[in-house]
Amino acid sequence: MLNSEPMLRVEGLSAAWGRTPVLEGVTFEVGPGELFVLLGPNGSGKSTLLRCLAGLEAPTLGRIFLEGRDVTGVPAHRRGIGLMFQDAALFPHRTVYENIAYAPLLQRRSRSSVDEEVGRQVALLGLSGFEDRAPDQLSGGERQRVALARTLAARPRMVLLDEPFASIDPELKAELRADFRRALRAAGASAIHVTHDRPEGLFLGDRVGLLFDGHLDRVAPPIQLFADPGSERAARFLGYNILVGAQGPEAVDPREVRLSPVGPDGPALTVVAAGTTGGERLVILRTSDGARVEVRGPDDGETPAPGDLLRATWSRSIRMPPGPPGPPKDAKNRGVL
Amino acid sequence: MKRSLTELAMVAPIAAFVVLFALIPVGLLFASSISAVGGLGGLGSLLALPLNQRAVTNSLLQGGVSAALAVAFGYPAGVFLGRYRWPGRDLVRSLLLVPFLLPSLIVVLGIEDLFGAGGLLTTPAPWLQFLGHGIPGIVAANLIFNVPLVVILTAAGCETASSDLEETVVTLGGSPARAYRDAWGRPTWIGAAAGGLLTFLFSALSFAPPLLLCGERCYTVEARIWSLDQILLAPSEAGGLALVMVVLFLAPTLGYLYLVRRLAAPSGRKAPPGRPLVWTGTTAALAFETVAVLAGVTILLGAVLFRTLVPDGGGGAGSAWTTLFGPATSNRLGIGIPSAIANTLLFAVAAAGITVVLAVPAAYAVLRKPGRSSGLGLLLFVPLLLSPVVLALSLATFWRPLLGGEGSVWALVIVSQTVLALPFALQSLGIPLAGLSAAGREAAESLGAGRFSAFLDADLPRVRDGLVTASLFAFALGLGEFTATYFLVTPRFTTLPVALYGLIGARQLPAADAAAGLLLLLSLLVFLVISLGGRRVEL
Repeated sequence: MLNSEPMLRVEGLSAAWGRTPVLEGVTFEVGPGELFVLLGPNGSGKSTLLRCLAGLEAPTLGRIFLEGRDVTGVPAHRRGIGLMFQDAALFPHRTVYENIAYAPLLQRRSRSSVDEEVGRQVALLGLSGFEDRAPDQLSGGERQRVALARTLAARPRMVLLDEPFASIDPELKAELRADFRRALRAAGASAIHVTHDRPEGLFLGDRVGLLFDGHLDRVAPPIQLFADPGSERAARFLGYNILVGAQGPEAVDPREVRLSPVGPDGPALTVVAAGTTGGERLVILRTSDGARVEVRGPDDGETPAPGDLLRATWSRSIRMPPGPPGPPKDAKNRGVL
Repeated sequence: MKRSLTELAMVAPIAAFVVLFALIPVGLLFASSISAVGGLGGLGSLLALPLNQRAVTNSLLQGGVSAALAVAFGYPAGVFLGRYRWPGRDLVRSLLLVPFLLPSLIVVLGIEDLFGAGGLLTTPAPWLQFLGHGIPGIVAANLIFNVPLVVILTAAGCETASSDLEETVVTLGGSPARAYRDAWGRPTWIGAAAGGLLTFLFSALSFAPPLLLCGERCYTVEARIWSLDQILLAPSEAGGLALVMVVLFLAPTLGYLYLVRRLAAPSGRKAPPGRPLVWTGTTAALAFETVAVLAGVTILLGAVLFRTLVPDGGGGAGSAWTTLFGPATSNRLGIGIPSAIANTLLFAVAAAGITVVLAVPAAYAVLRKPGRSSGLGLLLFVPLLLSPVVLALSLATFWRPLLGGEGSVWALVIVSQTVLALPFALQSLGIPLAGLSAAGREAAESLGAGRFSAFLDADLPRVRDGLVTASLFAFALGLGEFTATYFLVTPRFTTLPVALYGLIGARQLPAADAAAGLLLLLSLLVFLVISLGGRRVEL
């Protein structure tokens, strides 16, 4: 729960494609100026949730409040919520300037105010010198910058970002993420950023909500979420191994696992694959009951071969509840498998 | 280099065919006509003749009015068809192409059945008789053909609109009207404009409607050329006027080709299945208009079928068919109807076969590479620049003397039908080929398949529907082709559409209705086959 009055409050939102439920009872809040990340695998309902918030899809149940006002039935163009798409969706026949100036002109702002707004967004997103270019003369990253500038120039109360970095080269992503975060902060707009990219979500979000199969599993600040995933499913999605020890399932960070030769009578893990990922060694193993275990560590010493039997030990783990997510769990100090 | 030579070899047959049977004969026809009428100045004088001037004016008038009305009637239905998802949508899309494939004679007959003296509609409402003849009748016939084309092309425009762009406009605060203006309306108007230009071309160059519904005072340039060559025996003047016609209609033809290419160009996330239909005042009005368009086409074609069972002027059910296959009809036409049907099927099958054999390798070599389709691709669309009468006139002038006498008639008919079907076959192949990735073929090649095996295993299955559609479309076009065939055939090689013309001209309406019904049923059958499996024809 937020301390301040939320910018956006979503209560029990459900949506369906025909008779197939896509979202069920989603409830959360986004604070003023907050960057909220919705993280979940493909097909979990993230984009549908954004489209419901933007007014492009009608929820089957639930309410949406913006600054305390119920906007559930308000048409998209009167909602004051900007939506930015994965492919930028720039007007192909308009220049960069004209794309950014689109909403201010719709709002009948004065010419000087429009110029000022475009100038501010251009400077903020590093687009100086690109004003007269057509969209097809821009790189993928530049197109995304223009799309965000266009969205922010409308001065929306809320910005929705639908996987905006999904088709961007990895080298560019980090810089673009930082620039987006800075621009959103400068605009003072609340934002919901949807992604299935775990590092991206954890890097960007003030708080992160995990969405699985149309249900909001958990909402927490990134550090807290990573320290306490709350459920096996969330832990797996965040990259933990789920190992079943004597006291039930435990979430173990792949970097915390140490491998050693198997003892004469201890349980063993079978190496499936091993190799370097550039400065780090990655070993994939299977337990006797088929569960996948990932181990990351320094790229030194001998690399195990597929079929090798090894023993795994770890110094820290998070005990998982056997059923649905529950209260925070105690960290366990040592484990052996 | 080896690949380029292979591709050249794949394009060479169709290029040679177009050059031999379109460019050279038409070029020589124009050259000899210019020379015969006394150079370019002579062409000016030819155009200054009152009857020729009237033909040009008629063409522009009939084409312009028909195009404007076709867009007005077709645009709303096109938006309804392209933008919204509703039961039976795909079937309606397929059926809308049926009028395009029918010989214009069937529509003329339908106009007569509905609006002529004692027509099905003019009997209860005599004031509708103005639609049964003259310019209104011709425009009504043109609309039955062309409104469906505008609907289909507008719908195709709708489907190229980017959903993301439309939703962006709305979330930036633009009203639905603004989203129409700035995002999804533009492609629909590109489609409608393409449909309007096609309507203009087909209507300005219409042949049978002015001949049968009005007479000489309504002749288009196309009809005037036929009249000059066949009635007035002035082939040089006919050729000169044909040149003037090609020049006059070059711009709209190129404009149509340009717009159709833009319709095929990608523009963001598409919404081919359409959006769910939510009933509002606007969607209800669009639906109503769509129903009206469908009703117009259905009533007209239904009238023809009705008349095959209940002939005009009495006679029991089936008497129209008895008359059609009876000796009186054979004597009048100089050929029995079974032989005319056999000729029709033979010509259509042969033309479709040659079309596919020529079009598939060329389309595969050229059209799957968007960047390379412009120059060579344009050559393949040359036949679209030629009207059936110009083509037939040039073939008759150049090739008939070379091939010799009546023996060449069947060959020239097949050639003309092939030339006319090529652009549409290429268009039907072009869309699936444009979406063909090289990955499958390259994977097959990397696994050791030869290039031909890789084509058979990886590419052919993915363009199979386009291939079937192109073949059937070419067959259906041949089935209904009238203008060029009428120009070229002798009684021995009469086809069913040409027989139909003879029967209408002789006012043998019951037999004509039966012949038209037969053609209509054959066309519907072809379309049912095309529609099976969700195949689509591209214009």
